[in-house]
Amino acid sequence: MNILGMGIVFARGRGVDSLDKALHEGWQAPAEVEIKGRKSFAYRVDQQAISDRTLLKNMRRADKLSKMAVVAASEALANSRIEDLNRKRVGIITATALGAHVTTFDFLDDILEYGDAGVSPTTFSNSVHNAAASYISSALGIEGPTLTVTQFFFAFHSALQLAQVWLNEGRCDYVLAGAVEQYGDVLAYIHDTKLTPAPDGRIRPFNFKPAYQVPGEGSVFFLLSNKKQDNSFCEVHTVSVNADEIDLPQADLYIIDADGLLAYESIYKDCLSSAIPVASYSPLFGSMLSGSAFNCAAGALMLRNQKIYASPVTDNFNGLNIASETSPCCIELIRCIRYNCLDEKAVVYLRKARD
Amino acid sequence: MINVTGLGAISAAGGNVAETLESFNLKKRNAGTVTLFETPLKYPVFEVKHIPEEYYLEGRRTLSLALISVDEALRDAGLENDLSGLRVGVCLGTTVACQLNDLEFYQSYRDTGSASMIPVDRYLKGNLAEFISRKFKARGPVLTVVNACSSGTDAIGVALSWLKNGLCDIAIAGGADELNRIPLCGFGSLGIVSGELCAPFDRDRKGLNLGEGAGVLVIETKESAARRGRSSDLYLSGYGSASDSYHLTAPRPDGAGLERAILKALSDSGIKPGDIGFVNAHGTATQDNDLVEGSTLGRIFGTELKMLSTKGYTGHTLGAAGGLEAVFSAAALREEWIPASAGFNNKDENIPLIPVTERSDIRGGYALSTSLAFGGNNAALVIGRRRK
Repeated sequence: MNILGMGIVFARGRGVDSLDKALHEGWQAPAEVEIKGRKSFAYRVDQQAISDRTLLKNMRRADKLSKMAVVAASEALANSRIEDLNRKRVGIITATALGAHVTTFDFLDDILEYGDAGVSPTTFSNSVHNAAASYISSALGIEGPTLTVTQFFFAFHSALQLAQVWLNEGRCDYVLAGAVEQYGDVLAYIHDTKLTPAPDGRIRPFNFKPAYQVPGEGSVFFLLSNKKQDNSFCEVHTVSVNADEIDLPQADLYIIDADGLLAYESIYKDCLSSAIPVASYSPLFGSMLSGSAFNCAAGALMLRNQKIYASPVTDNFNGLNIASETSPCCIELIRCIRYNCLDEKAVVYLRKARD
Repeated sequence: MINVTGLGAISAAGGNVAETLESFNLKKRNAGTVTLFETPLKYPVFEVKHIPEEYYLEGRRTLSLALISVDEALRDAGLENDLSGLRVGVCLGTTVACQLNDLEFYQSYRDTGSASMIPVDRYLKGNLAEFISRKFKARGPVLTVVNACSSGTDAIGVALSWLKNGLCDIAIAGGADELNRIPLCGFGSLGIVSGELCAPFDRDRKGLNLGEGAGVLVIETKESAARRGRSSDLYLSGYGSASDSYHLTAPRPDGAGLERAILKALSDSGIKPGDIGFVNAHGTATQDNDLVEGSTLGRIFGTELKMLSTKGYTGHTLGAAGGLEAVFSAAALREEWIPASAGFNNKDENIPLIPVTERSDIRGGYALSTSLAFGGNNAALVIGRRRK
């Protein structure tokens, strides 16, 4: 299947141009946040990036998670430049690990403060995991199958895999598949308690041990189809989740999703080759359980632009062949790799769009 | 052809499929006030009263319910608890189990700025499909569907697609959800929970009752079943899903999304509306759901359709509902009867059809099970039975 359009909202802005700019500019320090007297870092999405009165006019009460998802999905549709899309033939698959946890905690506040019978129905209905997908459907007028899926590490990969299945069996002509995660203070507390916070706000993807994390938030959506068009980003050639990878020609670049969400990330070393450069763009986005979607977005842009972007943080204590310079390059195939805490692996192969 | 080779169910209506059918036959409605947690809310609920010790998991009731149901379905399918030699996918729906909504944890964090990580660890190890997949060493695709009240139906539909596209040979599919204080408060705040026993499709219906449970199918390609020397009279023939694109909590009044989902499930199955023997409707007993669903079913199938809602026996089990109702539909096809639609007494003149009021024999080789969800998703499954 092909990536015909892409939309993104993240700490550095909104839209593919913002992604391209961030990839060119490299690492920038994340925001400092203070929670209950503790200082830490976070890659937060600026409210300005999701202030869209036209698009969001009917969802003023929606939470930030839903707004980020709607903005990214809308960008993906617009970015494809497809006119007269039959929206009954478009499906939506939203992947999220933690969903609307911020709104869930708001709802718990309601219970604690006002009692079981005094809670807000609006907060409750926005706290369900599929609220974001529902808002995408209503804001964009999409009437195809709409699904929200959750897993802690591979939700995005499973969403891509299912999108391919839906397209292959003719359930849809297009699928908007993507991921969304939100930052919140409880999440930050859990991160800082269970994992290693980056002391200077810098995720070091090639450090592996200790693996430094900085919480992030944002959303990426891809408009996928088995149809082709001239401005396609690339082809999603293969998705494998905890399964043997099929034999493919050697990749030109590996992208690893190392972002400090595993206590130790040395497992990534096992899948790398000294002959093939490796990159990771999580220092631009922050640590997110669905962060693979953001690295895949970077990969898709590289394949369209035929350019390898420098990894934003290149600390290299393991003698790796890190992509450390931005340069035009003929790239055919990118292998994007994610591990979970049980050393299970998910891989997405992105291939240059074919004529 | 995708066979249904195993069924498993637990709810207030029974701890397994056989007990459930007995409750249905006797019109037993095992509802009562909440005993699982403290709450001032006095709504009737449908609780599972007994979880065998070997399935008990501290603070993870949804997983316990799922384990019981999966175990039964695997035994029914003649499968062992170690599935590592087979290509088995796990696709399960839920609502409660996907959220870190531990009040004690949150209150501690809120009040003191710190909290025990035990509930967090339980949550992180408790993704429903991942947990079941690891427990039974399944080596195929894994997915937890969180599509609110259609989660179970959608999970079975996804698993059907996996099998048809060769991603696995066998799938464990369905849904599970526990009765939990958070959604009870939430549904209560929406004003759609009844203070009496629910009455799906009844003129005087006052809302839903919450319940809990798990319903699981083992579905399998014909080739896989043949390799294992298994045969089944039941098969999963079609799935359809469509979004209302309308509102976060209210169904689209014209039922257009539900209609498209049903028609897709029928066309997937290669059958016409007249081939459907009965419909196990979503039938929550809320004003809006039953009006939209009843009107849509009447439009597609006509007023003589045999239909029921089993929520009068189980309550609304949220993410489990689609799984349970698929199991009930499959079992009914095999048993050749459907129970009375509990709670129905008076026809609503705005709904063109009425549910069955007594145990009814069924003819026809196909059943349809429907789900409508918060968020506007609609889903439908067609299950078939080969007659000798």
